[in-house]
Amino acid sequence: MNVRSRIPARLTLLLLLCLLLSACAGVLGFKRASQTHPFEHRAHVLAGVACVTCHAGIATSGDHDPLHFPSKTDCVGCHTKPHDTHDCTACHGESHVRGSAELAREHLRFEHQKHMARVKGDCVRCHSEVAVAKPVALRPTMASCFGCHEHQDQWKVRDCNGCHEDLAAEETLPSSHLVHDSDFVREHGVRAAAAADLCASCHTERSCAACHGQNVPALPARLAFDTVKMSGLHRAGFKSRHSEEARAQPGLCSTCHSEDSCVQCHAASHITPGSATRSPHPPNWVSASRGGSEHGTQARIDPMSCASCHGGAGEQLCIGCHKVGGSGGSPHGRGFVSNKNKTHDVPCRSCHAVGL
Amino acid sequence: MGCKTAATRPRSYRARWLCVPSVLGWLSLCERANAEPLRLRADATAETQAPTGLVVLQGSDNVRPWIATEGLVWAGARPYGSDATADVLVLSMRLRAPHGLGDLRVGRFVVATGAIRPLQLDGASALARAPWGGTVEAFGGVPVVPSFGARAYDWVAGGRVAQSVGSRLTMGASFVERRVHGEIADEEIGFDAATAPLPGIDIAARSAYDITSPGITDALISGAARKGDFRYELFAAHRSPSRLLPATSLFSVLGDFPSDLIGSTVRWQAAPRLDLLASAAGQAVGGAVGGNGWIRALLRTDDHVATSPSGSGSLGLEVHRQDVSSAQWTGIRGIATQPLSHHLRLSTEIEIAAPDAPRGRGIVWPWGLVALAWRSGTGWEAAGALEAASTPVHSFETNALLRVSRTLEFL
Repeated sequence: MNVRSRIPARLTLLLLLCLLLSACAGVLGFKRASQTHPFEHRAHVLAGVACVTCHAGIATSGDHDPLHFPSKTDCVGCHTKPHDTHDCTACHGESHVRGSAELAREHLRFEHQKHMARVKGDCVRCHSEVAVAKPVALRPTMASCFGCHEHQDQWKVRDCNGCHEDLAAEETLPSSHLVHDSDFVREHGVRAAAAADLCASCHTERSCAACHGQNVPALPARLAFDTVKMSGLHRAGFKSRHSEEARAQPGLCSTCHSEDSCVQCHAASHITPGSATRSPHPPNWVSASRGGSEHGTQARIDPMSCASCHGGAGEQLCIGCHKVGGSGGSPHGRGFVSNKNKTHDVPCRSCHAVGL
Repeated sequence: MGCKTAATRPRSYRARWLCVPSVLGWLSLCERANAEPLRLRADATAETQAPTGLVVLQGSDNVRPWIATEGLVWAGARPYGSDATADVLVLSMRLRAPHGLGDLRVGRFVVATGAIRPLQLDGASALARAPWGGTVEAFGGVPVVPSFGARAYDWVAGGRVAQSVGSRLTMGASFVERRVHGEIADEEIGFDAATAPLPGIDIAARSAYDITSPGITDALISGAARKGDFRYELFAAHRSPSRLLPATSLFSVLGDFPSDLIGSTVRWQAAPRLDLLASAAGQAVGGAVGGNGWIRALLRTDDHVATSPSGSGSLGLEVHRQDVSSAQWTGIRGIATQPLSHHLRLSTEIEIAAPDAPRGRGIVWPWGLVALAWRSGTGWEAAGALEAASTPVHSFETNALLRVSRTLEFL
């Protein structure tokens, strides 16, 4: 009885799930809003139709010539009885393919005329996707351009101007040779290390200085407050959680911030040790009892945090107790070594003056 | 309307070097060599919290392929205070040898190369590339301090040599030294490498070694693989905070208590419009062991992303957990952005973060923003936003932000 009663429930659930998925197909992008579908390039290739039959004149086209997309007139030359009266390109061929070609014409220096001679009229050598059943992109990728030695040579010396007119204006991510997704804010530092000049081929000086500059007026995310993104540094309520973030990855803040960058904001907000109710330090931060002091442990984990307020002249606060013979004992923790002259160099001489 | 210049194909590097003076002379006589315009942008922003106002002026010029100039200056003020200030973020000129065989930068800019961490300086940087993949770079100058303040450092100098092996491997070694009042503040050597051993797989690494207080300052590695709709990344980082500080700081003598991080991130394009991402990492901070992780979903609301990334709407959700040492919090964040018309866009962002140990700073820290942006077809932009939050310092904060921008291009 129970089994029988469950079957309709399961079926109903399955039906609902199918309905939900089909309803979401459009939202998720499985079903495109546009009614167009990829042009049947493969069928034409298999039928032995030469590319230049439809794309007439492309073999001699230069950098400024118009794009050679076929019109209805070209189609009806062979398809003498069209199945309806609409313009063929309204359904056959996707708009993003045309858009991609238009972007290429606008931003790239390219002449079919020169390339046709090199490939001896074999268009598929570059446009390899025309021969596959479900092409992703008909425009050749950069990887296919690098199939030729001269483009490889240009790439080695970062001579982007050979092909790209204005990389900054293109505003397209270099999907074929660099990836800017996932957690790129974290990744970019290590990835740029060996390829800073490659990054500079698209990014201007301002791109780096906007975050790494010592005198930035406001971070890019703050200036572009209307551009909400999932990834990014200092987004959303970062001001509230910045101390948690800093404690989680000691030293990371120093990638952009100088060692005294916190003090200005904290002083303006009256968050200073001098203010009993708004001190950034928890109770019993400094204790005279042996081993009972938290500040030493935290200072070793993240000395940058201490230096951000107590750097420079503020260091005298530490020396009061931690000088040689002082009540605070030696501040040197495990693994401390230095090539400095301790009686002569800064900061060693602050405690190790001659005679101490 | 500018003209296009067809790519000049390299034939002989020796001949190219001989042609440099004549090419430079010819280019300097050209009215125009390509279609890159002179770009100017001005932003004026204001917010009620503080309150503050800010004007940013920036421009760049690439009218000839061998020279590029760039500048960004800003001025800020608080209406009720006397702390008006201004500064120069970038003011640089880059001269480029034909075909990218070298370039020279002078002015105020950021140097970041190899294992040398980013440095903003007033100075010069020169780079030469050999046709066989070798690179030599040298730079020097005075590190920048905010608001035209007194110099914090005397000078900084460094360089990097690197060699590429085909397009598969690049390795480099770098050196940097920074001085303050004649004392060594930083003296490091570094190594970096990047390789793409197989299609879809790339690995990058860098490490800096402190010479003054011998030991590894930091080391980072990231390896990624792409296959179909997936991208996997493994990463690791090691930092010694006391060595990241200038060696002239008293806090640099506290010893070696590094923090380590190792983790992985996966991105899956689950549907044409849906990206799912997850990341998890283990951490060691001082003597404490913990970790962090997040899961993120991003749904685009239209198919325009392929041709116009800025023209699409999206919905996003992220759940985040951090648990290491005394940094313990959980957060959830959501975004929504949708074009209302061709010129108008509505965006909103919400975050709720909850610390494990409130310590009188509030149980949750909610934050929210609603923004409306307008962009004309003639280079004008305007955006306004309302922001509200409950922070560890104030139980309730509100803020209104406004920005007006103008972009100009001259061909």
